[in-house]
Amino acid sequence: MSVYDQYETVIGLEIHVQLATQSKAFCGDDASFGGEPNTHISTISLGHPGTLPRLNKKQVAYAVRLGLALESEINLHSAFDRKNYFYADLPKGYQITQDRSPICIGGQLKIMVDDREKAVRIHHVHMEEDAGKSMHDSDDPYSYIDLNRAGVPLLEIVSEPDLRSAEEVDAYMSAMRQLVQYLGISDGNMQEGSMRCDCNVSVRPKGSDQLGERCEIKNLNSMRYARRAIAFEVKRQIDLIESGGRVSQQTLNFDPVTGETSPLRDKEDAHDYRYFPEPDLPPIILDESYVQKIREDQPALPWELYARLQEEFDLSDYDATLLTAELSTAQYFLQLNAASPHPKAAANLIINKLLPYCQEENIELTEFPVGIAGLGKFIQLIEDGQVSNTIAYQTLLPELIEQPGTEPLELAKKMQLIQNKDEDFLTQLVEEVIAANPEKVKIYRGGKKGLLGFFMGEVMKRSKGQAEPKATNALLREKLEA
Amino acid sequence: MQIDEKLISRLEHLARLELSGEERAHIQGDLNKILDMVEKLNELDTTNVQPLVYINEEGNVWREDEVRNQLPREKALKNAPDEDGTFFKVPKVIDLDRNDA
Repeated sequence: MSVYDQYETVIGLEIHVQLATQSKAFCGDDASFGGEPNTHISTISLGHPGTLPRLNKKQVAYAVRLGLALESEINLHSAFDRKNYFYADLPKGYQITQDRSPICIGGQLKIMVDDREKAVRIHHVHMEEDAGKSMHDSDDPYSYIDLNRAGVPLLEIVSEPDLRSAEEVDAYMSAMRQLVQYLGISDGNMQEGSMRCDCNVSVRPKGSDQLGERCEIKNLNSMRYARRAIAFEVKRQIDLIESGGRVSQQTLNFDPVTGETSPLRDKEDAHDYRYFPEPDLPPIILDESYVQKIREDQPALPWELYARLQEEFDLSDYDATLLTAELSTAQYFLQLNAASPHPKAAANLIINKLLPYCQEENIELTEFPVGIAGLGKFIQLIEDGQVSNTIAYQTLLPELIEQPGTEPLELAKKMQLIQNKDEDFLTQLVEEVIAANPEKVKIYRGGKKGLLGFFMGEVMKRSKGQAEPKATNALLREKLEA
Repeated sequence: MQIDEKLISRLEHLARLELSGEERAHIQGDLNKILDMVEKLNELDTTNVQPLVYINEEGNVWREDEVRNQLPREKALKNAPDEDGTFFKVPKVIDLDRNDA
């Protein structure tokens, strides 16, 4: 057994989620991503003297929405605090956050790891604001500051140290991303920084119930970086302990180029943030009816939709998982199923054709050349036995994509893809095939019934795929047995 | 609690101030007086008194989520000590030692 196997990894996560509001947390600046540098700003986000913040009501509603989904206790009396530090992209010299009384307390999020469900406990969720952005490398000896992001509303979700591996961190981050998307409170886009996480990592001998000294890895903005940073950090800590050293509490930076973590600061020179109550923002006082209203308006949650796809539409775990991974996919499925109520066929079409196509073309499902109505009719053609499944997928669909405006039935007719079960049509084909293959017929009649497939294939070939399989099968048997 | 030389240095760093010897002595005296006053207040029994944080009773002063009152960039950059028409320019700070959110 390797020495690494004798240790258990313990991880707690702080996830920052940027909220999808129109305006910023405490003023009316545009909160959207991008924009020309320093155009989404005002005297408030610039921290000019004499200006006062005023809370965006949506930030409160979104926080409560998330809290309810995480089964948190909604704190009916919460308030803001100032976290003081100096940095060029923090104009006020303090960040407005919630230190003493966060808006959501406790809760849990269930994740799936290796087919097992695990509940990750949430410590709390609090509201705060983002900082601006600094660019250091364009013009020595200056740093350039863009304050568009300064004041964008964030929720920070702090978990208990319940995660035990990079895989669990991955599953937890993915589940959280999926949840905020379903709730419509954030796009959860890690590339654009809408979701970032700090990882608190420690190790301890297996079986121990004491927590080891932890290190915090800051600002991991992709799952890949998080995995690599955790793997590196776990090995570093175990090596340190095994060589007789001790892990000291540190804040670490992860360098994606070297794949290594390195200390930003030790506990001794940890920041002294001097939190104190934010006097410019009155407390947030909620009542049960406010919470109840949000509860009633709560959109479907990922796990509810997953259960519905399995129970109401009888889809497999595989199908339901893929279809609910993204809210947009699940909504698309429901629309397609409403247009043509054949859930398994709709699931197959989306999973096997539409998603790969859209990924290849880098478009959204809703931008697929053939609309929902057309695809509904396409499914109906197969279900009604008018076009065979194979022909529909291999021949009709590619042509439909080329001519998205056409009616699937008209196109199938024009392409002569409609299956034919007309008895005269089939009888002629079957007789032709029998006449053309006397040797095979003899062998079949000698007892080799497996040859039926061969005859079916021949009839299909001659009919250019139009022979309706059920009727053809029956007719072939009849003629061959005669 | 007494304000000593060490604490003055720490506060100086936290406030990003540089004080002369004279100023340090002066501030040390002031701060000690303030602490004495707080000590005096502490003589009162406040066992069952909730801390007063907000003078105003009012809560929930919220606004609608609407984009408004933005500044044109030109105006926003006007009072900056240094800028290039697009960005605020500051002395280079590659201090990763910060909170990013």
